[in-house]
Amino acid sequence: MSLNSSRSANSGERSKRSLNSTSSNPSNNSGKKRKTGNQKTLGMAWGSNSRSSSRSSFRNSPFSDFGSYMVEKNRKLQNQFDAGASSSSHSALSSGKPIFHGVSVFVDGFTIPSSQELRGYMMRHGGHFENYFSRHRVTHIICSNLPDSKIKNLRSFSGGLPVVKPTWVLDSVAANKLLSWIPYQLDQLANETRNQPKLSAFFALKSIPVFEDAVTHTTYPLVPETEDSVFKGGTSKDAVSSEGGQYLEYTRQSSGEIDDHQCENTNETIIEKPFSNDEKSSEIKMEEQSFSNQEEECSIKNELQSSPHRPSASVSSYYLDNARKESSSTTVVGCSNKGHSTLEDPNFVENYFKYSRLHFIGTWRNRYQKRFPRLSNEFKHTSSDLNASGVSQKNVIIHMDMDCFFVSVVIRNNPELQDKPVAVCHSNNPKGTAEISSANYPARDYGVKAGIFVRDAKALCPHLVIFPYNFEAYEEAVSCDEAFLEVMDSKEGDPELLASIIRKEIFETTGCTASAGIAGNLLMARLATRSAKPNGQCYIPVDKVDDYLHQLPIKALPGIGHVLEEKLRRRKVHTCGQLRMISKESLQRDFGTKTGDMLWNYCRGVDNRVVGVIQESKSIGAEVNWGVRFNDLKDSRHFLVNLCKEVTLRLKGCGVQGRTFTLKMKKRRKDAGEPAKYMGCGDCENLSHSMTVPLATDDVDVIQRIATQLFGFFHIDVKDIRGIGLQVSRLENADTAKQGHQRISIRSWLTSAPATNEELCKTSCLVRKERAVADGEKQSTDISLGQLSNDSKRPSLQMSPSSSNNEAPLNQVSELPALCDLDMGVLESLPPELLSEINDMYAGKLSDFIRKRKGKNENVSGTMCTTSYEIYEGAINNGKQLHCSIVPIRKTPVENKVEKTLDREIATENSLLQSSEVEKVKQYKIDEIQEVSVSGAVSLNVVDPASALEKSDLMPSSLSQVDISVLQQLPKEMWVDILEQLPVHRKPEHSSSAALDPLIANAQESLCFKHTENNSKSVDSVLGNNLWIGNPPQWVDKFKVSNCLLLNILAEMYYRSGSTGCLSSILQCTLSKFLLPLDASSDGWDETISSLCDLLKQYIKIKIESDIEEIYVCFRLLKRFTMKSKLFLEAYNVVFPYLQASAGENYGGSLQLSHAKE
Amino acid sequence: MVMERRENQSPQNETARILVEFLEVAITSIVFLKGIYPSGAFERRRYMNAVVQRARHPQLRDYIHSAVSGLLPFIQKGLVERVAVIFFNVDNIPIERFIFKLAVNQSYDSKVEEAALEFSLRSFLIKLPVSETLTKALPRDCRWEITAYFHSLPDASRSKDAEVWIPTDTKQWQTPPVISPIKSMTTEPLCLQLYLEHPSSSEPNS
Repeated sequence: MSLNSSRSANSGERSKRSLNSTSSNPSNNSGKKRKTGNQKTLGMAWGSNSRSSSRSSFRNSPFSDFGSYMVEKNRKLQNQFDAGASSSSHSALSSGKPIFHGVSVFVDGFTIPSSQELRGYMMRHGGHFENYFSRHRVTHIICSNLPDSKIKNLRSFSGGLPVVKPTWVLDSVAANKLLSWIPYQLDQLANETRNQPKLSAFFALKSIPVFEDAVTHTTYPLVPETEDSVFKGGTSKDAVSSEGGQYLEYTRQSSGEIDDHQCENTNETIIEKPFSNDEKSSEIKMEEQSFSNQEEECSIKNELQSSPHRPSASVSSYYLDNARKESSSTTVVGCSNKGHSTLEDPNFVENYFKYSRLHFIGTWRNRYQKRFPRLSNEFKHTSSDLNASGVSQKNVIIHMDMDCFFVSVVIRNNPELQDKPVAVCHSNNPKGTAEISSANYPARDYGVKAGIFVRDAKALCPHLVIFPYNFEAYEEAVSCDEAFLEVMDSKEGDPELLASIIRKEIFETTGCTASAGIAGNLLMARLATRSAKPNGQCYIPVDKVDDYLHQLPIKALPGIGHVLEEKLRRRKVHTCGQLRMISKESLQRDFGTKTGDMLWNYCRGVDNRVVGVIQESKSIGAEVNWGVRFNDLKDSRHFLVNLCKEVTLRLKGCGVQGRTFTLKMKKRRKDAGEPAKYMGCGDCENLSHSMTVPLATDDVDVIQRIATQLFGFFHIDVKDIRGIGLQVSRLENADTAKQGHQRISIRSWLTSAPATNEELCKTSCLVRKERAVADGEKQSTDISLGQLSNDSKRPSLQMSPSSSNNEAPLNQVSELPALCDLDMGVLESLPPELLSEINDMYAGKLSDFIRKRKGKNENVSGTMCTTSYEIYEGAINNGKQLHCSIVPIRKTPVENKVEKTLDREIATENSLLQSSEVEKVKQYKIDEIQEVSVSGAVSLNVVDPASALEKSDLMPSSLSQVDISVLQQLPKEMWVDILEQLPVHRKPEHSSSAALDPLIANAQESLCFKHTENNSKSVDSVLGNNLWIGNPPQWVDKFKVSNCLLLNILAEMYYRSGSTGCLSSILQCTLSKFLLPLDASSDGWDETISSLCDLLKQYIKIKIESDIEEIYVCFRLLKRFTMKSKLFLEAYNVVFPYLQASAGENYGGSLQLSHAKE
Repeated sequence: MVMERRENQSPQNETARILVEFLEVAITSIVFLKGIYPSGAFERRRYMNAVVQRARHPQLRDYIHSAVSGLLPFIQKGLVERVAVIFFNVDNIPIERFIFKLAVNQSYDSKVEEAALEFSLRSFLIKLPVSETLTKALPRDCRWEITAYFHSLPDASRSKDAEVWIPTDTKQWQTPPVISPIKSMTTEPLCLQLYLEHPSSSEPNS
């Protein structure tokens, strides 16, 4: 391809001419005048026809080759353009960012206006104009006409860039903002049947950011101006006078303009929408959480700016519900000017759901439930009462249904349309393939019905009025379009009378008509409504049911769709009467138990469902099957991210969290062409992958990560994707889950190094903050401590800063936690790459630290532990004075020296600096000291409680630093004492073991990486993976002293199997040595099982990632145990789901524990 | 001279070199194990003091060799997450997948104990032939391929090594597979696991 090659030599001259033309016409600032000047341009030739000749003519030139000549030429043209632009772009000054910022056009062929005029526009409005096509510089190609050959080979012609009509430039200038070019794309291309290549050709990657950029930038600068005009009015002159005369003038002018437009808009709003008032709108806003305020605001500005200039202003003003809440104007009308596929619209997902009717209906119930939670609960209650009290009681059910609801609302607002055919649809394009979603009865008389394409509808009824959706109005009107009522026969009189009263009231309040069906159950009531429509009611008493159903086509029954209908038709079943001939067994055999049952019941008018039972939704999700087109992975990623956001919002909206995530994918079939419905999904294969995480989540980041992972499982070409849906199931109530802990522990599951790392930093900051807060609380006592420690001749700097410095936390947040603050358990369970990263952050000190600490841990004798306990105990019992005396004992002389010198340094700095800064410095130094002390004096880090003592304060400053397992082993009085000493917010109860819960919760929040099973109350399991830490691991000692024989045996086996710490060898050993039944002791059954489960779970957690073989062997052995021991069987059954979930997490599959061959 | 160069090498490169060599042998063993070619296509050799098979057909040998040695630069960088040997039927639907899941500790900076590493890897070669009971019988007309799963896709334009790798045509199972572990090892700086994946019973096409 030789797109970059030369044209004729007169281009330089031409650009000069264009310079003249602009300077001769300096008054044309607003750019609104559309010039249709004499076209003398030759057009820009693409071909390389002059190549050979030019080459020969350049042979003697100073340019070494053609390429360098072109580079030079382009540079000169660029300079000329820039010079011209700087002298002529006044308007660019006035609105901050010029309209065409980031846009670079290339004009191809004959255009109206001429390329020179276009060049002038680009020059004045901050764009660029390329004389030669370059894929790297040009963002839009402008032309009016293309030869057939270029259309056929569009990609090579355009390089994937948008090909746009010149009116785009003019209209953008007129609208004073960068309009979407999509409506302006070349007709020849827009009408083309091959949609996909065309669209993908249009959305070359780089044009997207440009587009986005431009839009946001052009909208924002107007914000202050609008405010100006509203609040300041004429005074704006003073306010901005310093900015220079020209700017001022423009501001005034434009703000005036905008002011006017705004008035216009609001006026229209008032006229058109008498129903909407402020209260309502704010209420709706609160419900519609899915649209961020900012976005809304932005688009309002957008709207203010653009709507008055649109040719279709009169129509669009209708959609301008209310300047404050409505954010859709540009996009609703967007059938003509807003992007429709995932390719062109960066907010596609959001907009999609904003304008999806099905979504509106689908999410209505959630909104409703949120709005009237009490009501529905009460209702549930009463209805269950009803069930209990008398099933035999003869109830009547009324089904109310709004008549052609979506249209009714429109007509309500436009009474003049009362008897005219009206339909509601996304798009008003008469040629379009948008589906009519609702049509009123006059329209239905023409044969217009829901589901047909607009073009067909228009053909049937040329004067059909089509309206887009207006969801706010729907919400106001009735909030939903159908309802069931259960009326007890005994209480009220005639249900028919009641129904007519309700219908009347509905009409009076909402202005829309409703129909009612009355029958003995839900099914029949709904069917009755069908015959009642429009605006009527129908009562089917029990004895008439059979007659009614006999001739009813099966299609009318709910739950029978195309597929089922087709299947039944093949069996020559068309009506319910015929369906009744088939036996229940036969139906169940052919259609499955549930469907067969349903068919059998329904065709007899039997329906056992109960009114008012609000089904807990089993899954929540979002699916987009329309307009999904991707060019590359990046597009799909972006889309996926937005989909996840949507799903998250829905989860949050329902107040639930989910564990299983299913990503559904519609993949174009290989031979499927472009679907009939514009941008529809067409003939697709449905694929899905799902994944279960151990803890429910509604965190957007987590869901995004999961979705991306799932997305990776489908190895399909993104170009073939026609629909994506994300479904969340296994829902749990969000309130029961502990937010903070849960969020982070899930993250640690999905090990992506950088993200987790970030999380770790956050976590450590959190720890710090907590500590600092606690320090603040301890302020007074610590000060006295500090003094005391001075008495004892130890320069106790640690005390003073942490006690008096309330600013410290702020400074610390960005710092790394001191090494000694890190929890070994956490460090050990981190994946190696993460550890190495942290190690780097600590400049390599961490690995030393760990090594030494590990070594130390191994050498620690029991006595050492006890001494530290004793010291600790003593400290608590004797009051705080003792702390000071402990310190010198436990610090090495070296460290003391270091501290002293540092202290001196600080003292000198003290005199130089302001006090607050000194404190910062002190804090910093102390951190240093801590690090020094840790790496220098290893003996200090004995075991966890000791290390807790080691921290700058003698007492751990909050519970988060206390090792719970140690605490647990202390006598009860003692840990109660400790709890009292420590600053916690809640005072724990002393009596039960549940007292540890707040403490544990606290600890988890700060340590964060200790993963636990959901909602588990058991203290053991909450302790994270402590059981396998140490040598021998903690569980050995714990089991040894247990009063359960089985656990004792396991502990013994640990030693017998060679103390390898390998569970499989322990189990192997147990299996070979103990043939007697293991369930001898029945006491403490539950406790034993829970201990066993914890042991196994923690082992899985440690091993699953690196050694699935070991886990596999263990569970194979356990399986053999289960045959002998009920206890093992129970434990096995408890742990098994956890095992499979973990396997799924790490390997994307489930572990196979039994083989057919055996 | 050679020794010196080796000592100068980073432990990751060293590990990757050993690993790639091992993978070549192991993959050949897997192919032999599955009996996809007549046994005459292989000859017995000794590697890491274990009996292994070596492909005699130059094309087969080359394919395995070029595939795994093409992975070398990426393993060194720690980009490769899994290396799969996938056996699939005529419809490109996988029947059995042997997965090598590997993780090379990128921050490990002491000397690689080559002997220890080889000792651990050797256990794979020994375990593999006795794991035949775990595997599935393959239908006729089976094909197989080596697929590598990367943590992130390498930039094809930047490194020449990436160019030889193409997206696979093999279809995916629609439900999560069942896993049968064969062997795992963790020796710094390498963590390697070999396991089998079979379609789950709910898989539509199985």
